[in-house]
Amino acid sequence: MTELIAEIPAWFPKASEFLTFSPELAWVATLCLIMLAPLAIGRDARITAGLAIVGIAVTAFFTFKVMGIVSAEGPQTGLTPDRTGGMLIADNLSLFFKLFLLTFLVGVSILWMSVSANQEDDAPEFFVLMVGSALGMSLMVSTQNILMMIIAIEFASLPSYAIVGFNKQKRIAAEASLKYMIFGSVSAAVMLYGASLIYGFFGTLDVAQIALNAGPVLEAGGANRLLVGLGMFCLFVGIAFKISAVPFHFWCPDAFQGAKTEVTAWLSVASKAAGLLLLMRLAHVFCMYAGAEVLHGVAIVIAIFATITCTVGNLSAYKQTSTKRMLAYSSIAHAGYMMAAAAILVDANKVESFSAISAVLAYVVVYMLMNLGAFGVVALLESKNGGDDSITAFAGLGWKTPVLAIPMLFCLVSLVGIPPFAGFITKWYLLAALGETGVGLYWALAIVIVINTLISLWYYMRVIVQMFLRESDKPATDVPMSGALLVNVCGVLLIVLLIFSNPLKNRSDKYSAGLFAASPTALAGEGAKDSLAQSSPQAGGTESLENNHGG
Amino acid sequence: MDQHLISWIVFLPMIAGLVLLFVPRELVKWVALFGSGLAFVLSLLLFKTFWGGEAAGVFGDAYGALHHVERAGWITGNRFSIEYFVGLDGLSFPLFLLTTFVSLLACLASFNFDSWKINKGIKAYFFLFLLLETGMLGVFVSLDFFLFYVFWEVMLLPMYFLIGVWGGERREYAAIKFFIFTLAGSVLMLVGLVAMFFYSADAVAKYPELATSYNTGAQVTTGTFDLIELTTNEAIQKHFGDAGTKLLDVRFAPLMFMFLFIGFAIKLPCVPVHTWLPDAHVQAPTPISMILAGVLLKMGGYGFLRLCYGIFPLGGEFWASFLAVIAVVSILYGALCAMAQTDFKKLVAYSSVSHMGYVLLGICVMTTTGFQGAMFQMIAHGISSPMCFFLVGVIYDRAHHRQINKFGGLWLSMPRYGSMATLGFFASLGLPGLCGFVGEAYVLLGTFQAGPHFKWAYTAAICAAFGVVLTAGYILWVVQRVYLGSVREEYKSFPEATGREMLILAPLGALCILLGVLPKQSVFDFMNGTLNLLIDQMNGVTQMAMAAAGG
Repeated sequence: MTELIAEIPAWFPKASEFLTFSPELAWVATLCLIMLAPLAIGRDARITAGLAIVGIAVTAFFTFKVMGIVSAEGPQTGLTPDRTGGMLIADNLSLFFKLFLLTFLVGVSILWMSVSANQEDDAPEFFVLMVGSALGMSLMVSTQNILMMIIAIEFASLPSYAIVGFNKQKRIAAEASLKYMIFGSVSAAVMLYGASLIYGFFGTLDVAQIALNAGPVLEAGGANRLLVGLGMFCLFVGIAFKISAVPFHFWCPDAFQGAKTEVTAWLSVASKAAGLLLLMRLAHVFCMYAGAEVLHGVAIVIAIFATITCTVGNLSAYKQTSTKRMLAYSSIAHAGYMMAAAAILVDANKVESFSAISAVLAYVVVYMLMNLGAFGVVALLESKNGGDDSITAFAGLGWKTPVLAIPMLFCLVSLVGIPPFAGFITKWYLLAALGETGVGLYWALAIVIVINTLISLWYYMRVIVQMFLRESDKPATDVPMSGALLVNVCGVLLIVLLIFSNPLKNRSDKYSAGLFAASPTALAGEGAKDSLAQSSPQAGGTESLENNHGG
Repeated sequence: MDQHLISWIVFLPMIAGLVLLFVPRELVKWVALFGSGLAFVLSLLLFKTFWGGEAAGVFGDAYGALHHVERAGWITGNRFSIEYFVGLDGLSFPLFLLTTFVSLLACLASFNFDSWKINKGIKAYFFLFLLLETGMLGVFVSLDFFLFYVFWEVMLLPMYFLIGVWGGERREYAAIKFFIFTLAGSVLMLVGLVAMFFYSADAVAKYPELATSYNTGAQVTTGTFDLIELTTNEAIQKHFGDAGTKLLDVRFAPLMFMFLFIGFAIKLPCVPVHTWLPDAHVQAPTPISMILAGVLLKMGGYGFLRLCYGIFPLGGEFWASFLAVIAVVSILYGALCAMAQTDFKKLVAYSSVSHMGYVLLGICVMTTTGFQGAMFQMIAHGISSPMCFFLVGVIYDRAHHRQINKFGGLWLSMPRYGSMATLGFFASLGLPGLCGFVGEAYVLLGTFQAGPHFKWAYTAAICAAFGVVLTAGYILWVVQRVYLGSVREEYKSFPEATGREMLILAPLGALCILLGVLPKQSVFDFMNGTLNLLIDQMNGVTQMAMAAAGG
C-alpha cells in the first residue's frame, strides 16, 4: 500500500487541491447524476429538473466553502505542480462567476419548467447539455493558461451547439445549430493555430510568461512581430467568437432565433459573460507583465472592436421583425459596451485600476436580470401563441396581459440604460471607469457608448409601442404562475438595484479587487516575477518547456 | 415632518400614485387630486422660510442660501460618493411652487377623463401623471448632479406614455419624437456628468490650498457631484476655467457648457431643436399640454442657470454671441410660425417657443437684470401658457376641432369663458399690468445693459423688441378671429364654462394680474438674493480667469 502511495506521481493533485476544486467536482457529479438517474427512476422532466437544482445547490454550497478558504488564505491555483502556472485558479473572480452561472441556471430551469417541461421528452439530455456548458463556461473564467482556455471554450461550445438544435422537429433549429457549429469549429481551428504560433515562440502557454516576453519580440519588428501578432490575434478571434464581437457575430442572430427561447436567454448572457471575463482576465494578466507600448497597441485593437461591435449591433437590430433576433443584436451591442472595459484594463497598466472589472461584474449581473426577464416574456408569450416571436405579436399586450408587459417594459428600458432602472447604474459604472482613465481614447469611447444608447432606444421602443400604444383583438394570454413570478422578480429587481445599488457595487468592487491578489506574483511572493523572467525563451526554450510540462 | 418636508412633497404624489392602483375605479381621480393637492398645500408651508427674501442660509451666505436641506449617502464607496442631496434656494423655490400648483390644476383638468376620446386605463393615466409630478419636483430640488440626472430621466417614460396613449391622432409620432429628442440631449449630459466628477477630483488634487468646502469648511479631497460645491469651490472653478484644462483636446469649460447646453436647449426649446414641441404639445391631452408648457420647458431654463452658468460661466462667455443669435431667432421665428398657424393649439405651442427665446436671451447676456427677467419670464409663462392651453382645451371639448378660422364670436355665447380667455391671452401677449410684460421688459433692459461689454447686445435687444410687436400681432389676431365678431350659428348653443373649468381658470387669471401688478413682492423678492450671489460668483470666476490670462 505504501508503495502505491509513493508511486503517486507529483502532478497528481493533493487533497487540499481537491477541496479547492470541489465545486467543479460537484458540478461533474451533478452531470453524471442527471445522466444516470433516468436509468433508475425513469425519464421524468420534473424529477430531472429537481435533481439539477439539488446539484446546483450542492455546487453552490461548495463554492461558498471555497470562498471561505480564499478569503482566509488568498487565491488558490491548482492541478499543476508549478504553483505559478495557473492552470486552474480559484479566486474571487472565478468563484463569483460560478455563483453567477448557478443562479442563472436556476432561473433558466424555472423558465424551462414553465414553458417547455410539458412537451419535452428529453429533459435529462437537455439538462446534461445545459449544466455541461455551464461547467465549461465556469472553467473559461478559471484559467490563465491558453491550453486550458481552449479546452474550456470547447467544453462550453460543444453542448451549446447541441442545445441550440434541440428543437428537433424544426428546420430553423437544425440550421441554427449547424451554423453555430461551423462558425465555432472554424474559430476553434483559428484559435489553435494561434496557440501553436505562440507556443512556438515562447515555449509556454502561460499568459503571464508570454506577456513578459512579448515586448522584446514585438519591438524587434520584422517577421517575428508579425507572427506573434498574428498568433495573439488568432486567440482573440476565438474569444471574440464567444463574445460575438463584430465581425465574428454572424452565428449569433441565427442561433438565437433557431434555439428555444430559454436556451437563447442562457447563451445570450452566460456564453458572452464567460468570454468577456476570460478576456478581462487575460487582459489583466497581460497588463501586469507586458510593457506599455505593447499594451497600448492591444488596447487600441480592443477599443476599435468594441466601437464596431456596439454600433453594428445596434444598427442591425433596428430592422429586425423577430423579437429574438432583435434581442440577439442587442446582446451584440451590449457585448461591445463591455469590451470597452477590457480595453481600459489593458491600457491602464496599474494594479489599482480595478474599476473596469468591477464595472463589468456589475454589468453582467444586471444584464442577466434584463435578458432573463426579456427572453422570459418572449418565451411565455411564444408558448401560448404557437411560436410567434415577431414584434407585432406584442400588440396590445400592455392592456391585455400587463403581468407580462410590465416586466418586459422594465427590462427593455433598462437595456436602453436610462433611469430608474439598474441598466442605467451599470452603464454609469462603465462610463465612470472610462472617464477615470482620463485618456482621450476612452473619452471618445464613452461618447460612442452614449450615442449608441440613443440609437438603441429606437428598436427597444418598437416593442414598447406595440405593447402599449397599439391595439389588438387577441385575447389575454394566460401565464403559468412560476414563469410570471420569474419575469416579475427580474423586473422589480431592476428597480431595487437602482435604489439600493450599494451592495452590488461593493461586491463587484470586492471581487474585482481580489483578482489582483490572484496573480501569480502574489501567490509565489516577491520573487515570482524574476523567476518568470528567467524561464523566458531567451534563457533556453527547452528548459522552460520542461518546467511547464515535466515534473 | 418638518425636517423632511421637501422629500415628503416630492414623493407624496408617487405614493398617491401607488395607492390609487388599489382603489376602486371611481375613486382614482380623487386619490390623485388628494395627492397633488396635499403636495401643493405642503409646498405653501415653504413660504414661511422664503418670506421677505432675506432668510439666512443654512450654509451662511456662501451661495444661494439653501433651505430645507437633506443629505444622505446614496451610492457610496471608495471611488465615488453619490448623495441624496436636496434643498431649495431662490432659484428653485419659485419653480418648485409653480410645479405643485400647475400639477394640481392639471390634475383637476383631467377630471373629465371619462369623456375623452381615449378613456381606457384611468389608473395608469393618473399613476403616470403623479409619477411625472414626482420626477419634475425632484429635478428642481436635486442639488447632487447624479440625482438630478436620475430625476431628469425619470420624467421621460411617464411623459412618453401620457402623450403616446392618451394623445391626439398623431400621438405615436409625437411621443417618440419627444422621447428621442430629450434623450439625445441627455446622453451628452451623461458624459458631462462623468467628466465633471473626474475633473473636479483633478482640481482638488491640483489646488489643495483652494479646495475649501462651502459646506463643512474642510478641504475637499475627492471629486464631487455636489452642484453647489462645483459652483463655489475655488479650486474646481480655477481648474475648470483654466485654458490648459482640456477634454479631447478642446477647452474644458466651453465644451462642457455645450454638452450641458444641448440637453437644456432641447428642453427649453431653442430654434434648431424645437421641432418636438409643436408635435408634443398639440398631440398631448390638455392637462399634459399644461404640464409640458407650464413646467417641463422651465427645466431647460433652470438647468442653464443652475448648471451651465453656475458651473461654467466662462463657457457662457465663450458662447454668448452664438446663444444671443439662437435666442433672437427663437423669438422671431417662433412668433412668425405662431402667426401662420390655423390650428389654435399649435399657435399656443409656437408662442411658447417665442417666449422661451426671451428666457435664453435674458440668460445669455449675463447681467443681473437679464437673469431676473429670464426667471420672471419662466414663472409668468408657467402661469399664462397652461391657462392658454386649458382655454383651447375647453373649446376643443365643445367643438371637437381647433381650426381658428372656423370659430367666431365665442365671447357672446360664453361670456365668462370669453373674459378669462382675453385675460389669459393678453397676459401671454405681455400687456403692461399682466404677468407677461415684466419678464420681457426686464430681459430687454438686461440686454441693453450688457451693451458695453457685449457688442451684439443692442442689435439683439432691438430684434427681440420687434418680437413683442409680432406677439401682439398674432395674439390680437387670434383673439379677434375666435372670440370677437358675430356669433356663429353652430356655436350659439355652447354651454358656459363649468364650475370646474372656472376653478382652474380663476386662480391662473388671478396670478396673471398679481404677478403683473406686484412683480417684486410676488416673485423677485424670493429669488433676487440667489441671483445676486450667482452673478457675484460668475464675476469672481471671470476676473480670476482674466487675471490668469493677464499674468
